[in-house]
Amino acid sequence: MSNCHCGAPLLPALATIKEIVEETPDVKTFRMVFNDPAVQESFRQKPGQVAQISVFGVGEATISITSSPTKRGFLEFSIKKVGRLTGVLHELEPGCQVGIRGPYGNHFPYEQMRGKDLLFIGGGIGLAPLRSLIDYVLAPENRSQYGRVDIIYGARSAADLCFKHDLFHNWPQQPDTRVFTTIDRAQEDWTGHVGFVPAYLEELAPSPANKVAVTCGPPVMIKFVLAGLLKLGFTPEQVVTTLEMKMKCGIGKCGRCNIGSKFVCLDGPVFTLAQLQELPPEF
Amino acid sequence: MNKYFLAKEKLPRLFELIMADSCLVAPRQISGHRYLFAPVLQAEEVALDYTNSHLPPKNYLFPQTQAMFLFQQGEGELRISPAGAASRTVLWGIRPCDLQAINALDPVFFGDYPDPLYRQKRENTLLVGQACDRPAAQCFCSTFGYGPDSSAGADIMLYPCTGGFLIAAFSPRGEEALASWQPLLLPVRPEQEQEVGQTLAVASQAVKKLDLNGVKEWLDKNFQSPYWTELARRCLGCGICTYSCPTCHCFDIFDYSRKQEEGVRYRGWDSCMFADFTLMAGGHNPRPDRAARLRNRFMHKLKYHLDRYNLAGCTGCGRCVRLCPVNIDIREIISDLKEVATRE
Ligand SMILES: Cc1cc2nc3c(=O)[nH]c(=O)nc-3n(C[C@H](O)[C@H](O)[C@H](O)COP(=O)(O)OP(=O)(O)OC[C@H]3O[C@@H](n4cnc5c(N)ncnc54)[C@H](O)[C@@H]3O)c2cc1C
Ligand code: SF4
Ligand code: SF4
Ligand code: FES
Repeated sequence: MSNCHCGAPLLPALATIKEIVEETPDVKTFRMVFNDPAVQESFRQKPGQVAQISVFGVGEATISITSSPTKRGFLEFSIKKVGRLTGVLHELEPGCQVGIRGPYGNHFPYEQMRGKDLLFIGGGIGLAPLRSLIDYVLAPENRSQYGRVDIIYGARSAADLCFKHDLFHNWPQQPDTRVFTTIDRAQEDWTGHVGFVPAYLEELAPSPANKVAVTCGPPVMIKFVLAGLLKLGFTPEQVVTTLEMKMKCGIGKCGRCNIGSKFVCLDGPVFTLAQLQELPPEF
Repeated sequence: MNKYFLAKEKLPRLFELIMADSCLVAPRQISGHRYLFAPVLQAEEVALDYTNSHLPPKNYLFPQTQAMFLFQQGEGELRISPAGAASRTVLWGIRPCDLQAINALDPVFFGDYPDPLYRQKRENTLLVGQACDRPAAQCFCSTFGYGPDSSAGADIMLYPCTGGFLIAAFSPRGEEALASWQPLLLPVRPEQEQEVGQTLAVASQAVKKLDLNGVKEWLDKNFQSPYWTELARRCLGCGICTYSCPTCHCFDIFDYSRKQEEGVRYRGWDSCMFADFTLMAGGHNPRPDRAARLRNRFMHKLKYHLDRYNLAGCTGCGRCVRLCPVNIDIREIISDLKEVATRE
């Protein structure tokens, strides 16, 4: 379903920032609520979908919805400050208004993942889209439909880890759930694992049996993680990732996000590795 | 289908009739051989005979820049108001290649998320086509399975003949318009039908038909080829090919606000030939060089649009051929690719 109030998919609906969590020095999670309760109620995203966030007078950016659809009444977006719009967003305070349109794109194949063990592999802000699926799967009403959940997550430094509360409190407390965190370089106050995500993956060497791996992170990390998973015996059908291409419209019109004949905004951002292998190498 | 004769002398009256309740947009002579679609204020401004317009009429459905909505922030809440509605328009004298281009744009702008701005204009616009009696040297429309006599996409078609046009409706909307123009129309005489038939047969013969056999199949299999790098050495990245193309639809979205608290969100044409088109925050660019960008354009014309919408992304209008400052010629590319395809 799209946010097509009055059949206008390019028109954002107004929303108010309710809460801001500082995740890292350059990532903040914004909890937003639509000004119109009817819009809030009818907005139904699926894990992995994105929205276009507007700051009026500045523009729009494509951001993954990081909150699980099982949590109703608000949407969360975790946004890294990298440019113009994200820079201005980071200056906003609770009470400020933004625009949201969406949800757009396809979603993680959570239906086909039922009955399987899940392996999440994230790097940096790349945990944001995965979080919507992790929280969906771990929600009490869904938990029994999925097997073991393993989460491997890394960032440059301990300060750069997003969702610390989830990583160190919420998720490890869930049944059959393990969280493995790592940072790139050793650091005094860090007693956990040190090393890049793909290397940690190789070390942990999870078995591919009855498992789906879902990964998102910076392009280099994804590249090595995909190779690592294949080495561990995962088939391309068992591996799911999300892609990033520059986007504007989000609805297949502006022609910007194509990889071959596919539009990331309509046919993605979620692809299996098998699907990626069919696409021209232009991402 | 009922055809009528529309005599040249009746045209001023017809144009006035149209202008009484609609905006009339028709080809107008700008200079020498240069014609452009533009709003008509006086009946005699309409060019009744022209080869092909310098630029396509696409901007009347998909403007170069277009306000999407206005935003205002007063004391309390932000407010958004959609941009103004589309006025009734008659697009007069569209050549078959440009009609075909509208057919190719429709599935992009409709589809799963109908584009409200395009739809408003599309639904308020009557498309009056004009068969080609004198195709230009660069025309190669028949390559794509239609030709100078094609009516596909038109509400009404005009067929040039001595003393005026034969005119016929091709949609319910066209029928309705013709019915209201009835007092200005005459029955068709058999010799007029014959004349039009002959003219169009000659015109169809005159259009160069390129052989596309194997081209799409070759592109399906050969994403990486040194051909694009070679070709791209000449490309300036100016983007004229895309702006002048009747089927190109890429756009950018940007906000403009003079005062902090109010402004307009616009969209405006963009081009995959530009370096920053796919440049992302952080510096990653999936199409980092001209070769990749040029390839994307021709892939879009000859493969991607077909894959996605089962419609060619090129209509053979010849504009990019005429306007490219360094003579990058899609006809040449088609025959080059055709050649490698058959060689392999
Ligand atoms: C499917 C998808 C999901 C994403 N999810 C998140 C997320 O959850 N959190 C997060 O912080 N970032 C996310 N991004 C990246 C985010 O969209 C860009 O970082 C952001 O648009 C940069 O905007 P800017 O205006 O600050 O940067 P500028 O450099 O000023 O960019 C100007 C414009 O270019 C476009 N653009 C630039 N970089 C990107 C990019 N990497 N991807 C898409 N469009 C871009 C946008 O339209 C942007 O408004 C996602 C991108 C995609 C494609
Ligand atoms: S690619 Fe060139 S010839 Fe084909 S429709 Fe576009 S402008 Fe015309
Ligand atoms: S018009 Fe010619 S030079 Fe300019 S971008 Fe297109 S192909 Fe390149
Ligand atoms: S973002 Fe416009 S086509 Fe995908």
